[in-house]
Amino acid sequence: MVYELRRADVRVKWLVTCLLATFGLSYLFGAWMVALYAGFTPARVAQTYAGADMRMPMPPDSTVVIEHPMKMSEFAESDTHAVDMPLLIQDTHVHVPMYGVIAGALSLIVLGLGLPKGWQLGLISLLFAAPWLDFAGMWLSKLVSRDFAVVTLVGGWAMGLGYCVVTVVAIRQMWFWHQGGAA
Amino acid sequence: MSRLVRAAVAVAILHITPTVILVKRPEAVTRLAPGADAFFAREAHLSGADAHRLNRAVDWSPEDGVLTFYIGKHGAATVGAFLFIRVDTPHGPLEVAVGFDPAGAIRAVEVTKATVETKPWVLEALRAGLTDAYKGLKPGTAPGGAATVREKVGELPEYMAEQVDKGVSRALAAYGMFS
Repeated sequence: MVYELRRADVRVKWLVTCLLATFGLSYLFGAWMVALYAGFTPARVAQTYAGADMRMPMPPDSTVVIEHPMKMSEFAESDTHAVDMPLLIQDTHVHVPMYGVIAGALSLIVLGLGLPKGWQLGLISLLFAAPWLDFAGMWLSKLVSRDFAVVTLVGGWAMGLGYCVVTVVAIRQMWFWHQGGAA
Repeated sequence: MSRLVRAAVAVAILHITPTVILVKRPEAVTRLAPGADAFFAREAHLSGADAHRLNRAVDWSPEDGVLTFYIGKHGAATVGAFLFIRVDTPHGPLEVAVGFDPAGAIRAVEVTKATVETKPWVLEALRAGLTDAYKGLKPGTAPGGAATVREKVGELPEYMAEQVDKGVSRALAAYGMFS
């Protein structure tokens, strides 16, 4: 294949570098947003997507009222950002296409890297699997068990890992590789 | 490729901005049930028939079929009841807190959450006196907050006022049927 980023025109290298820098910036702010709204621990992610554990499997035959005392401090806990089913549907609808576009763009960069075919296949799989895991974790936390929150965390970290590997290898090969020698 | 770019632009435009807290819940509670020093959460797990009745009345069903009313008391006396209602809009969710006095009339309404995008519109509607329009309403009446601020605000704040109306009408229906 003739598409090799390390031998590419400087304009192509600059374009790829700018694209990676832009993705990097958006990932940093993405991480900041996750810290603000969902958190980086399974417990906080579960609280965001699974919500309070008060569901009944089926609606009761007649309305059941349960009353319990609560403290003022518990109202503050309710301020935790919660993603319910309609919002998760909306989030999935708007995020997954964008994640696909990002994974596609990074995969195009991967195709231009001087890496063995197996590594490229693995990286492309990682880039697309990460957002799938991210959203699978959210849906499984909501529908099956809060324990699946860890899948969302794995997906999020996998997204970060995929981006870092592509960026480090691409920058190294584009800007620090000398013809006839290693980078 | 151009289709790909168009899709990316569409996604960016449609992206829902994150929720922002306009009033913290504990702060809202002090206005919805002033003087209360003890609180109780009353969770009504709705039967299918009751959920259907509520849905027919206001075209809305609470998450997981559970309505949560909060009761504020001072000593043995009930100071008020309140609930937090979420309204989903194409610009992201709003949370409207509606407090009732012991006579069953609305004492206060607070918009506790909006989104980064909708916050300025909500604040404009609030500055125009939106929530004053709800005071004293009882179940069975229709909130008309948006109509009262229509002449004073722009199109989007008016739209958000209509969404707040929707939250208040849900609270009125829920309180009237199940409190």
